[in-house]
Amino acid sequence: MEKPIVFKLFGLPFDLVGILGSTLIALAVFLLCKWLAAKVELRPNKRQNVIEYLLEFTDNIVNTNVADKDARKHLSLYAFVLFLFILFMNQLGLFLELKVGDNMLLKSPTADPVTTMTFAMMTLLLSFTFGVQKFGTRGYLQNYARPVALLLPINLIEELTNFLTLSLRLYGNIFAGEVLLTLIGNRLAPSLGIPTLIIAAPLAIVWQGFSVFIGSIQAYVFVTLSMVYIGKKVAKE
Amino acid sequence: MTFQLLFAATAGKLYIGNEIWYLICFAILLIVVKRYAWGPVSEMLAKRQQRIVEDLDTAAENRKKAETLANEREAALKRSRQEAMKVLSDANATAQRMSETIVSEANNQASTIRQQAKADATQAKVDALSSARDEVADISVAIAEKVIAKNLSADDQKALVDQFIKGLSD
Repeated sequence: MEKPIVFKLFGLPFDLVGILGSTLIALAVFLLCKWLAAKVELRPNKRQNVIEYLLEFTDNIVNTNVADKDARKHLSLYAFVLFLFILFMNQLGLFLELKVGDNMLLKSPTADPVTTMTFAMMTLLLSFTFGVQKFGTRGYLQNYARPVALLLPINLIEELTNFLTLSLRLYGNIFAGEVLLTLIGNRLAPSLGIPTLIIAAPLAIVWQGFSVFIGSIQAYVFVTLSMVYIGKKVAKE
Repeated sequence: MTFQLLFAATAGKLYIGNEIWYLICFAILLIVVKRYAWGPVSEMLAKRQQRIVEDLDTAAENRKKAETLANEREAALKRSRQEAMKVLSDANATAQRMSETIVSEANNQASTIRQQAKADATQAKVDALSSARDEVADISVAIAEKVIAKNLSADDQKALVDQFIKGLSD
């Protein structure tokens, strides 16, 4: 497989693919949002309708999963940005894979477990924060022994499994999509010359379309599950 | 062991730098999106929601006001109609009473006039009778004086004439 470009800065290892991809996507998301919300009026214009629809979509995810009113306001922004960020990162690798020689330069940052684990960890830490804010440190820790003390180990393990499933689900889906796309493009297409090239082209198109769908679904699932985990932490059991 | 499997895709290398970079990226993205997109849009959404609620409230209020106004108008109409009816009936009653009084007054007047006339007539009759009696007496005395000469006194004559007239009036 492709060799990642790793460099060290301040003694920390950096992977150029993730850095480039995430920065690019962050920029894109910001510019898109700024463009959509350029003119915000009481009577919504076309662009405003789009961003309002997006915001209502993510707000809906938050409101159905988080019962706590105070947390909702903060989570609205978090869900909105997280959804757009992950959605665009998922799609990046489908239409743009930049390779210089043997070195991969640009692909979906979410096809890397480090990325997805970062976001899953962020959600996990955020859920801790909201839980502690709501119940206090003592009350929050006691919540692990609810409804019965017997469930304490299960509740503790659940934190780890939540984190792992949240991150690896996203990573697996996007990674698999890219692997198959690369296989179709690099292995199947040139294997027997022109006939396979003709077969591979529509196959790649179909798989790309399906991957766009999967990427959108996974972004939605990631945000929804994040909200479920956070909502569980701020709910009184 | 498990973690080795997990990170197989990154060849066992954990890019701590990337994680930090992602977090910084995301934090900056959160801030700028809040500043330029999420903030204004959600504010506008809230404003619109409030506006709609206010509009609905005022609409309900206006409807209620209009309803009470209509009710009041209807009541006023009914009241004025009743008043008009009352005025009309009062006027009718007054006219009735007035006409009755006028008629009865006229009747009274007529009856007094009639009585007066009757009295006058009676008086005139009595006067006429008495004057006629005197005249007849005088005439008859004169006649008698002429006819019977000077035998009969005037008083005897008068008694005779009275008797005669009494017989006439009976």
